[in-house]
Amino acid sequence: MMADATQDDNTPRPRPGEQLFHSLSDAELEKSSEAALDFAILPWVNVVKIGGQSIMDRGRAAVYPLVSEIVANLDKYKMILGTGAGTRARHIYSLAIDLGLPTGVLTVLATAVAWQNAQMLHYLLAQYGIPFVEPEGFGTLPNYLMERNAVVCQGMPPYKLWEPNPATGRIPPQRTDTGCFLMAEVFGARKMIYVKDEDGLYSADPKKDPSAKYIPRICVDELLALDLDDLIVERAVLEFLARARNIHEIQFVNGLVPGQLTAALNGEPVGTIIYKNGHAR
Amino acid sequence: MTLQNSSAYHMQSSLMRESLVDKHVIARTEGQVFSILPDVNVIQIGGRSIMDRGRSALLPLLEEIVANQSQHRMIIGVGAGVRSRHIFSVGLDLGLPTGALAALSAKDSAQNAYMVSCLLAQHGFVYLEAPFVVQLLPAMLAAARGAVFNGIPPYSLWEHPPMVGKLPPHGSDAGSYLVGEVFGARNVIFVKDVDGLYSTDPHVNPDAEFIADIGAQELIDRKLPTLPVEPSVLELLMKAKLMKQIRIVNGLTPGNLTRALAGESVGTVIRQ
Repeated sequence: MMADATQDDNTPRPRPGEQLFHSLSDAELEKSSEAALDFAILPWVNVVKIGGQSIMDRGRAAVYPLVSEIVANLDKYKMILGTGAGTRARHIYSLAIDLGLPTGVLTVLATAVAWQNAQMLHYLLAQYGIPFVEPEGFGTLPNYLMERNAVVCQGMPPYKLWEPNPATGRIPPQRTDTGCFLMAEVFGARKMIYVKDEDGLYSADPKKDPSAKYIPRICVDELLALDLDDLIVERAVLEFLARARNIHEIQFVNGLVPGQLTAALNGEPVGTIIYKNGHAR
Repeated sequence: MTLQNSSAYHMQSSLMRESLVDKHVIARTEGQVFSILPDVNVIQIGGRSIMDRGRSALLPLLEEIVANQSQHRMIIGVGAGVRSRHIFSVGLDLGLPTGALAALSAKDSAQNAYMVSCLLAQHGFVYLEAPFVVQLLPAMLAAARGAVFNGIPPYSLWEHPPMVGKLPPHGSDAGSYLVGEVFGARNVIFVKDVDGLYSTDPHVNPDAEFIADIGAQELIDRKLPTLPVEPSVLELLMKAKLMKQIRIVNGLTPGNLTRALAGESVGTVIRQ
């Protein structure tokens, strides 16, 4: 498989290690990397994000059935389980904004909340040998995934104080949806599945507007063109999906409906799929 | 569907039950930001521009830093340089993704930062990895007389996919700028091997026009093929709450850094 990737490409290639030394400008440097081939590091892994407010904050009623469904899929699928933050993050964001603290500090604070949720999920899955892995320990992921078929990690990207400011306001723009997406993209994952508490994407928030229309499949540009006030996923995810090289679609399922996660893992079109422009299938 | 309606307990707060993706909710979170370390100066030492030149470029610069130590508190970010260009080339050839390239490159700047910290150790500078910057920087600055940190931000595998190609968009310029922004530092000074910003690369074209003062948006609009700082810094500057300008000085010219620390107009200023 690894040999095929280079054999398919008949264009003359620079000597390894030499390629970027020929670029005379930064713009040329960026472009010279555009033609590089892509290798998927963990092509069989599924990244599954478990919502904070939507799942974890609901406690046993929502989390137990989902844990059972995860366990039932362990012999068929390998999963990186990332967690969201939820209501405690909203509380500490409010408090920290009131205290005048910057976005990077808010990221450090909210990371602790996603970490708490990941720990709780990990306690429930511990008896199946599933570990909790910090970003610094990601070198051990392949082994755990081969041996135990799943790992739990917190969904926040490890940006800490280095989180860039949002265009407006103070809330970190890259949170747990983005952190999980970036894991899927960097590992060249099989699937990126978001487990939330809605049946997918609607033209408005169905919790607030009963006339909201259901959208089963949509591309990034179409979704952005709707210019919705609210979205099912962080805007940074859409921005990154639009230019991702490995992940071409992301799926949103309702974790409160038994079987939806399994269906998504099986490749069925449940919930909503948002796909990269030009990847309609 | 009783479960759907039996919602979780929501802690009382101004963001309670709100979608943090909602534009109206986000707009409500504007407000005054507090400077955590307002008297600290962030000095970014370039990788290719200074470090790769070795002793002749670096030692006079470090002497100048030490000479300013009694007057200015400084934390020093260090860039990666030519070793990253090599490992990017090998990594691209292997098909590795952007996040893997970012994780690899961060070790090159860590090496450079560690060397700088060794050279400044006798003057009380300490080397801090990212977790220690988060937890210990204020304490270290109270106890030690300065700190050196890895300029590349700890994004690692979580680095953003770039607009074009596969190279990590957030290098040591972006990381050092972000440290200045989050701590609300006094200033961020980029020490490079050019006098500042030029209309084209002055190393290639001797007729390049010097630009002493420019807005970030105007600079983005000019679409220059090469900049003395990473383009991502301009995007970050546009969204700044506290660090609304950066300065680029030539570290090969003795006295430039001292003048920049004293607030004199030397080199190029890029403003929000």
